[in-house]
Amino acid sequence: MATRAGSASGLSLGGVRSASRWGEYLFRAACFSAATLLLAALAGLVISLAVGGWPALKAFGWRFLVTAEWNPVTDLYGAAGPVVGTLATGFLALAMALPLAIGVAVFLTEFCPRRLAQPIAVAVELLAGIPSIVYGMWGLFVFAPWFAAHVQAPLVAQLNEGSLAARLFAGVPNGANIFTASVILAVMILPYMAAVFRELFLSVPAQVREAAYGLGSTAFEAVTKVIIPYVRRGVVGVVMLGLGRALGETMAVTFIIGNAHGLPSSLFGAGSTIASTIANEFTEATGELHTASLIALGLVLFVITFAVLAIARALLASERH
Amino acid sequence: MSLADPELDEAPHLEPPPHDALALETRGLDFHYGNTQALHGVDLGIARNRITALIGPSGCGKSTLLRAMNRIYELYPNQRAEGEILLDGEDILARQTNAADLRARVGMVFQKPTPFPMSIYDNVAFGVRLHGGKPKAELDAIVERSLRRAALWDEVEHKLGSSGLGLSGGQQQRLCVARGIAVEPEILLLDEPASALDPVSTAKLEETLLQLKKDFTIVIVTHNLQQAARIADYTGFMFMGRLLEFAPTASIFSTPRLTRTRNYVTGRFG
Repeated sequence: MATRAGSASGLSLGGVRSASRWGEYLFRAACFSAATLLLAALAGLVISLAVGGWPALKAFGWRFLVTAEWNPVTDLYGAAGPVVGTLATGFLALAMALPLAIGVAVFLTEFCPRRLAQPIAVAVELLAGIPSIVYGMWGLFVFAPWFAAHVQAPLVAQLNEGSLAARLFAGVPNGANIFTASVILAVMILPYMAAVFRELFLSVPAQVREAAYGLGSTAFEAVTKVIIPYVRRGVVGVVMLGLGRALGETMAVTFIIGNAHGLPSSLFGAGSTIASTIANEFTEATGELHTASLIALGLVLFVITFAVLAIARALLASERH
Repeated sequence: MSLADPELDEAPHLEPPPHDALALETRGLDFHYGNTQALHGVDLGIARNRITALIGPSGCGKSTLLRAMNRIYELYPNQRAEGEILLDGEDILARQTNAADLRARVGMVFQKPTPFPMSIYDNVAFGVRLHGGKPKAELDAIVERSLRRAALWDEVEHKLGSSGLGLSGGQQQRLCVARGIAVEPEILLLDEPASALDPVSTAKLEETLLQLKKDFTIVIVTHNLQQAARIADYTGFMFMGRLLEFAPTASIFSTPRLTRTRNYVTGRFG
């Protein structure tokens, strides 16, 4: 109505309005197609993984998930080894990195003198940007030999043969195993998580921090009882993103996990993850079933990551009540 | 006529309460934000079980003065106070005074409501739990008494378990008052507690404060002159980091001694 009145008065208001309506239409269409494109890409990814992996899933059925044997010679493939390796390294890395990352962030936001806080924060963010291959090389050439000589060998020498601990820490003393891979993963996700935690803690309003201290909290009490709960949704989000990165990390893990098929025998035993298996074998996979099994592994990794995010969302939703 | 008129160079006029009635006293208090001095030799006496209001134009140092009284400024590395603040004759600025213990004795309520992300009950119990565990029954009683004193009990009695963030602004502010008094501080500092509240909530909060002064000593910073006139027993007028005039509220508003105070309280400036 307004536009009609505008053009009736002889002004070009109607023209301006319709031009901006065109712009509005284009804008909406652009936003809509951007969103649709994302959904389409996601759907396409899942479908192509499912189609590519179908021969393996058809041949092995649900046993694909629970069989540990992975043998290109006999053309038998089971995902249990890489799945267990993936979950074990991911959660171990998270367990190591989480307390450290929170510690770094709390130090930077609560205790660190301001002159130091900024340089340290920048350093943490730079660390988060180092390519994973660099971590992998460092892990293989520096950390693994050091670990084998100074931790693994002395530790194993201390333990009684056949005891539970001895079985937990058994393995070839070359430093390439599940545990060192987890340590490298922890080192990789630590700076990222610390940087995001710092941002999160800084987002807590000054007055809320002051209120916590104002009631007589010590720094520890203020952080654990008010500041972290205040941003708990963000904390869960950071944890999940860190875990997601650890689960999907490829190059660094491929360097140092030892690349043994089957279930990892111990904490210090060689193993494999889904990502490292795919990276190692995809170019060399000759048989149709081998390729299909690798693609099916990719689908499994996708589902695991998806499940991690879904669980995170469910946790957050339940916390709101 | 400007409030900052250099010709109005009058000496401060201070009529503090009798010395034995003081709960807290500042002596020659200076305050610095980095290189900027925000308080200059403030001598202020806070009377026990009375409401003391601090008024003055923005940036005059009234909030700074309040924030020195529980050392909350220490959270920020480049802020420092010099001089003496005596609480029961003990200098709280002294290095050996533990800030956490001090803040249990000198509570604070802020400009914006700051409920913690937890239930109403846990908000009120927060400070009590910090300073030593109490049996559940005793804690229940403390929570109820604090909420009653803060005039919030009737509104939240049946939803103590729901989040403090779900309350209205006025209710949140009274929740913060309840949280502050639950630890039985000697002094309650309020930094413009009503500035984010509507008139009805403000009236309720003021009524609450008038009730609370039976048990607590209250210091309130306010921009609202009527509020100071309504509830305060003593009022201090601050200007450019100095306490210019301090007297019983009635004389500050009816017979101010300094021209600057008169100009400010009559609304000619500020």
